[in-house]
Amino acid sequence: MALLKLRESQIMKIHYLTGIVALFAVAIHILFRLIMPFGQSLLYQNVISNYHNIFYALLLESILILISIHGFNGLRIILVELKQSPRWESTITILVLISMIGIIAYGTRTIVIASGL
Amino acid sequence: MDVAASNSKDIATASSSTSGREGLRGWLNPTRYGWERVSYWLQRLTGLGLLIYFIGHVYETSSLTNGINAWNSMLQLTQTLGGHLFLLFVIGASTFHTVNGIRLIFTESGKGLGKPGRPDYPYHAASLNYKQKSGIWVAILLACIAMLYGGMVLFGEGR
Repeated sequence: MALLKLRESQIMKIHYLTGIVALFAVAIHILFRLIMPFGQSLLYQNVISNYHNIFYALLLESILILISIHGFNGLRIILVELKQSPRWESTITILVLISMIGIIAYGTRTIVIASGL
Repeated sequence: MDVAASNSKDIATASSSTSGREGLRGWLNPTRYGWERVSYWLQRLTGLGLLIYFIGHVYETSSLTNGINAWNSMLQLTQTLGGHLFLLFVIGASTFHTVNGIRLIFTESGKGLGKPGRPDYPYHAASLNYKQKSGIWVAILLACIAMLYGGMVLFGEGR
């Protein structure tokens, strides 16, 4: 529950930081699709070989975590802007945290299985 | 008589909206405000769109775990004209969201806001200056360029 007690200014710093770091991580992720013709880069064998590269798998995991935090916090900000009350805000925060953890867990499962770890 | 009727109408209108809340309709109304409001609106809409795309992308790539057939059938769904047009929207939305987000980080740290001064007629806010406006235009321009490049890659068999 410590996450619920973070000040809004601290949460915004996390929001900005995750956004900036994700920008570089996603840029590398996109470059992996552009180092060969786009259609060829999506072939099953090519994608699986990307996942078997441990550095690329770590990059994907970091993108998953960064974008989840940034995206779901953005959703929380929008919903809190629309309506304000302590009950609404804590309900939204809890739902957003659950969704965030769910997406990270589901994406991590894909990365672990596809990379053969 | 007409003035009195007009005044009573104004009072009635004011008392019917004492809460001052417009909810989602007020949030989506860009007409009374400048480009800053359009930028605020686009930042949130592109953010929501990108979050939906991200969740879909995580689900889409999970088909890798079910083998080559599952992956190929998922590709058949996404590697279509509609899928490519949707990807073009994602490219434009992510570029705008990124560039405008960087502008907002600078704004929140006080960069490019101008000096505070006495509010004189015609009450132009120092914070809503050309630097802020040009940041919004640069974000829109870069989004268009990114979409153009993305279109060349997706539709042109290029790299």
